[in-house]
Amino acid sequence: MTDHRIREVVIVGGGTAGWMAAAAFARFLNNGYTRTTLIESEEIGTVGVGEATIPPLITFNRMLGINENDFVAATQGTFKLGIEFVGWGGEGERYFHPFGFHGHDLEGVHFHQLYLRERKRRVMQDISAWSMSGVAAQHGRFARPGAEARAPLSQLLYAFHFDAGLYARYLRGYAEARGVNRVEGKIVDVAQDPESGFVRSVTLADGRTVEGELFIDCSGFRGLLIEQALETGYEDWTHWLPCDRAIAVPSTYPGEPDPFTRATARNAGWQWRIPLQHRMGNGHVYSSAHISDDEAERVLLANLEGEPLADPRRLSFTTGRRKLAWNANVVSMGLSSGFVEPLESTSIHIVQSGIAKLIALFPDKKFNPIERDEYNRQMQDLFEDVRDFIVLHYHATRRDDSDFWRRCRTMSIPDKLANKIELFRAKGRLFREGFELFATTSWVAVFLGQHIVPEDYEPAVDALDEDRVAQALEQMRQAYLDTAQRLPSHGEFIANTCSASGPAPFNFATGTFA
Amino acid sequence: MGERVNIVVVGGGTAGWMTAAALVKLLPRRCSVHLVESEAIGIVGVGEATLPHIRSFNERLGIAEAEFMSWTRATFKLGIEFQGWGAEGESYIHPFGTFGYGAGEIDFHQYWLRLRQAGVAVPDLEQFSMGATIARMNRFQLPASDPSSLSSTYGYAYQFDATLFAPYLRAIAERLGARRTEGRVVAVNRNAVSGDIESLTMESGETIAGDLFVDCSGFISLLIGKAFGEPFQDWSHWLPNDRAIAMPCRTETALSPYTGVIAMPAGWRWRIPLQHRTGNGYVYSSQYIGDDEAREALVASVEGEPIAEPRILRFRAGRRERSWVRNCVAVGLASGFLEPLESTSIYLIQQAITYLVELFPEREIVSSDRDEFNRLIDMEYDRIRDFLILHYHATRRSGTPFWDYVRTMPIPDSLAEKMELFRRRGRVVKYREGVFLDASWVAVYLGQGVIPEGHDLRADAPPIDSLARGMEKLHADIRQAAARMPSHREHLDAYCPMAKVA
Amino acid sequence: MTSRGEPMRSVVVAGGGIVGWSAAAALRRRIPALQVTVLPIPTGADALADRIGVTLPSVLEFHDDIGISEGDVLGRIGCTYRLGTSFEGWSDDLPDYVHAYGDYGRALGTTSFHLHWIRAAHAGRVPPFDSYSATAAMGRAARFVHPRGEPDSPLAAFGYGLRVDPDRYRQMLRAYALHLGVAEQAGTIAGIELRGEDGFLAALRLDDGTALAADLFVDCTGPAARLRSAIDARFDSWSDWLPCDRLLFAEAAAAAEPPSLDRAVALPSGWRWESALPSAAAHGLAYVSALLGDSKAARVLQTSAAVEPAEAPVTIRQGRRPEPWLRNCVVIGDAAVAVEPLEWTNLHLAHSMIDRMVAKMPDRDGSAVELWDYNRESEAEALRVRDFLQLHYATAARPKNDFWRAAAAAPLPDSLAHSLRLFRERGRLPYYEEETFTRGSWAAVLLGQGVMPRRTDPIIDIIPAEQADRAMRDLRERISQTVPTLPSQAAYLRHIVASARR
Repeated sequence: MTDHRIREVVIVGGGTAGWMAAAAFARFLNNGYTRTTLIESEEIGTVGVGEATIPPLITFNRMLGINENDFVAATQGTFKLGIEFVGWGGEGERYFHPFGFHGHDLEGVHFHQLYLRERKRRVMQDISAWSMSGVAAQHGRFARPGAEARAPLSQLLYAFHFDAGLYARYLRGYAEARGVNRVEGKIVDVAQDPESGFVRSVTLADGRTVEGELFIDCSGFRGLLIEQALETGYEDWTHWLPCDRAIAVPSTYPGEPDPFTRATARNAGWQWRIPLQHRMGNGHVYSSAHISDDEAERVLLANLEGEPLADPRRLSFTTGRRKLAWNANVVSMGLSSGFVEPLESTSIHIVQSGIAKLIALFPDKKFNPIERDEYNRQMQDLFEDVRDFIVLHYHATRRDDSDFWRRCRTMSIPDKLANKIELFRAKGRLFREGFELFATTSWVAVFLGQHIVPEDYEPAVDALDEDRVAQALEQMRQAYLDTAQRLPSHGEFIANTCSASGPAPFNFATGTFA
Repeated sequence: MGERVNIVVVGGGTAGWMTAAALVKLLPRRCSVHLVESEAIGIVGVGEATLPHIRSFNERLGIAEAEFMSWTRATFKLGIEFQGWGAEGESYIHPFGTFGYGAGEIDFHQYWLRLRQAGVAVPDLEQFSMGATIARMNRFQLPASDPSSLSSTYGYAYQFDATLFAPYLRAIAERLGARRTEGRVVAVNRNAVSGDIESLTMESGETIAGDLFVDCSGFISLLIGKAFGEPFQDWSHWLPNDRAIAMPCRTETALSPYTGVIAMPAGWRWRIPLQHRTGNGYVYSSQYIGDDEAREALVASVEGEPIAEPRILRFRAGRRERSWVRNCVAVGLASGFLEPLESTSIYLIQQAITYLVELFPEREIVSSDRDEFNRLIDMEYDRIRDFLILHYHATRRSGTPFWDYVRTMPIPDSLAEKMELFRRRGRVVKYREGVFLDASWVAVYLGQGVIPEGHDLRADAPPIDSLARGMEKLHADIRQAAARMPSHREHLDAYCPMAKVA
Repeated sequence: MTSRGEPMRSVVVAGGGIVGWSAAAALRRRIPALQVTVLPIPTGADALADRIGVTLPSVLEFHDDIGISEGDVLGRIGCTYRLGTSFEGWSDDLPDYVHAYGDYGRALGTTSFHLHWIRAAHAGRVPPFDSYSATAAMGRAARFVHPRGEPDSPLAAFGYGLRVDPDRYRQMLRAYALHLGVAEQAGTIAGIELRGEDGFLAALRLDDGTALAADLFVDCTGPAARLRSAIDARFDSWSDWLPCDRLLFAEAAAAAEPPSLDRAVALPSGWRWESALPSAAAHGLAYVSALLGDSKAARVLQTSAAVEPAEAPVTIRQGRRPEPWLRNCVVIGDAAVAVEPLEWTNLHLAHSMIDRMVAKMPDRDGSAVELWDYNRESEAEALRVRDFLQLHYATAARPKNDFWRAAAAAPLPDSLAHSLRLFRERGRLPYYEEETFTRGSWAAVLLGQGVMPRRTDPIIDIIPAEQADRAMRDLRERISQTVPTLPSQAAYLRHIVASARR
């Protein structure tokens, strides 16, 4: 019997995507016969994609068996309870997109429906006052709910902010300790099978050749294998998402880190603000058609809270996706597979999701096309979900202060998104399709935060007594507030459990460590 | 159900009334209990300090804690402070409970040893015991039940007036139907064929017959010793103390929630704070010091004004080879004696009663029950014996003949092996059952200067700086949690102030 | 020359079966500083721990300790779940009974459930003891769910073992051990070199001339004990107590619906087993070669289980090697203790030995006291497993068969005799150190085989019979309501495999 098992996996590129893939393979392909090699060149350097993340990363860490405190400490990380959007619905406005949930449903009726009716009766606080993560974020507090935490604390969902360079280094340590072979070198040539086009090996500048059966292309925007060798093609989404440049700069900041990301709209784009333990990450994402690079840099530097800690770094990109994430025996991950701006911190999630799907559909040497097609279909869905959600942020605005915003407000949008907006605008209805990444809470937060307010609510709400509902809502709100006020401050929590100035303390209560 | 077993308990001290109360309470339909005691004989108020096990005994008897403590003028006890045992001037606490959280598969002290051996500055092990930390601060609070809380990591016992405990139990026993006869036993009448005890003849001429006789007659060991002549295993070559002089005094210092055990030139001295006074006593070896000299030394060392004349007691360390012979079960001093260095007297009584209840016979006794009882009692005595010898043997004290002897005496092989095992890599021989578990042995080993040369290799798994930080955090958490507790005195006043004496 | 205080640095594990790779993985994972090399020589057909993929609940703890999760096993090699064993035909006139790894009944206050069952049985007809075990009921119904954790549920907590295909399991362990950094050295042993001065093993000489030296040699080569045999041939035979000396193995197609219990069926001249591994149904027969010829045995298996023996009969010699850790060589698994697969203890014992070896890892000099501690616990554990296995024979009631009459009449070791005497009197079960099986397991087998205590233990008097009867009725009702709502094991496996994929 022929042995079709894949024995040699080669990862090209060692940024966040490369080392995430390497770490996952080290954990899940430790079958005694599959060898993973990662080729990276110190010379090329990496783009630190997305320093902010979303909650599914917790699952990734758990799958790898990574101790969370250890990981946060090693990456100068902080915790993130959601994103504060400033100036998106209109100038000077702000709203919060929290992780987790809004309130509790009552007798099968969605919370946001109850909220909508109540809002017609009286002036209501912002809906984020009914989110555990939202209220904790507002008070600068954080704690990690244990497995046995009860409501409402159990509703607190979180993700992380971290230094992507340190994250890659951390994962490199993990992967190398578990047998991943790292090769230093710059790839100068790619050898393909003349018939099938499959990549057979890559040649390094010093003449060495690395052969493989499955290649993971983590080489960044250029797509060394997926595009330069296989010419897979790219679908351009710039007509919906016109931003094509970013400038990043770290800065100092005083006081405790906020447990959330902030995204502030500017005239021709937006600015991110990501608090880490040792510094603030800042960046300006903009459309080069509407603002010059120098002007964009001036805007960024003028809007820092502290002193810059390095020279600003300029990046350019084209929003869109690789037509096939997996082509022949090459799977692209990270920027080589496509790019959507980090407004909702999805970059690392897309990598993670790609890895998980690849492990679930891991091929053998026969490379059955059915597995590849399934992978590509799922990745396309994911990219499009993210795209639509981001487009919503630009489109649902009252801003009229620049060409950029006027264009966004009036542009045509994908049909699926248009449908979604209409459904919500009528009676606040939302339907999550398939494995859509963003759930009801996220859509409701952005819709309401950006003035897509339903004209009416679902008739089912009228079966519930108004006063009883009013009372229940008030109790919920109070419970979130009381719970949040009892939590330690975010800074305190970090100092006690995962400060970067030292390793995570051994936990004597459980007898465990990383 | 068979016929009721007629029990005759001889002796009405702590052992006698504990036995009587437990039997009538727990086996109400199986037995009738008749206790004989003589007020003329008086009782030895053994062990005013106890071990945490007594709480489950009280609970089974339905005794309400606060009432009991108030009645016996009791205080809380978190452990024992040993002064001057490893060497003069040293002190350590043997706490009830664990070091650290007592969680995980690897003992806490192994991590502690690893850090110490790596040159990391780590506080004494005692500071990682919640119980010892509270004790040193003279604070107290009932432990928590949530196992993730530091406040669940300690246990407690009582220090109480033993002369008030027996009457308290007597009231319970008599209420539940135990009979009591006052008087002296003058003859033990045995069946000529079987050899079993059939009855006792009292000074009054009354004959008290029974099926099972419980010998709680104290050192005199009226039944198992005198009547049956069960041999006594003498352990005085390992535990040479054979006298104690006891004398209460007024309390002058803080009301400590622990017992004090202070090394003396020819033995040691106890200090047991009750609500109304402090109990003191000098336990010594008559080979090394005269009674008068011992009395003077005690009087000179107590902290407050004496409130009674010193009283002298004589004993010998060891035990009867069997505690249950034919139809006679010995409980308490009648079965054996181990000095109260680790407050085991009442514990041994309690265990004998527990096993008797568990193995309660019919009128016709089967040998398997008796054998099992004796197997269990042997195990209890042997384990405590080794633990006590350790205290004497693991010392650097020298200069007095007493300490020179115990430091250099040959010890039982079973103990020598345990000590050597600890010296190498800090390993403690594990037992499933028995009174002093791992943490107790660790406390005494380290407290008395038996320092391991290495540690369990499994403790090398976590990164050392993570361990150091965890240790620091634990230390801070313990101090913080302890500082939030009320003082021992405050807690007593609120919970169980002693009944005012008319 | 090695000396005190120097930790072990290098270990050679001989044996390429499940036991050898498990030992290597555990050593490497728990003591990361060790260099571990496996010499994967094949083990014999009589190395039962290497070839029987049926495990006790302890397997999960072992996996957890070395970093393998249940999901890993399920996802990589597949497994089925087992809740216990169904014993069929062990006593004439009695129904089959189940030894399950969960509670039998519920303690009432502080009193064990089985004592209440005995009282009820004395009072008249009572449903079988195992009908009070929700785990047994779930097992009989071929259903399975994981423990539910809710304190009130009859399925709140119970143990379960895994069944795995031995070959795939061995491959998984090998891959995992290599992944952890264990080295593999191919070859066969041509000779064993001893150190002149102390008789320690110096090196294994391989056929290609390589010398494999190490500080410690772990012998996982099965009953042949290839390494240990070079320095010591002592063997304590248990054939007086456990007479079976021959095993016959067979295989059939896997059942579509895996049962949750394995079967141990008594036959006139031995017993046979049946266990649903993920990819096949494993069968076997245990018998005494002097009483049953091999060809007859094959026919017995054919007629009783309708399977063809897959290989020649395997000879086993039940017993243990004294001092399993001798000098710098420790025997693990069947090399240390060889018993028949009744109650599936072979791999469990190997895991327990591995765990103990890691916990008690001595220094390079292998001092007497460290080995003493290891050997003491190992002996206690082995003897009680022997007792538990013999218990099945000693209390089996098949007086019509010579084989069973002889087995029941065999002399008993003292510890088992003591256990049986106590149980027959009033249902008491003594605890020894290092017990493998809980009191619940002992009671399940004893009562399942019809050993009825002579009397009711007085200790349960405090719970009136009516109250106990009500509690027993309620429990049976809860069990009969709960079990039918559970999924079949097959459905449950499909469900968890599918949700793990998501």
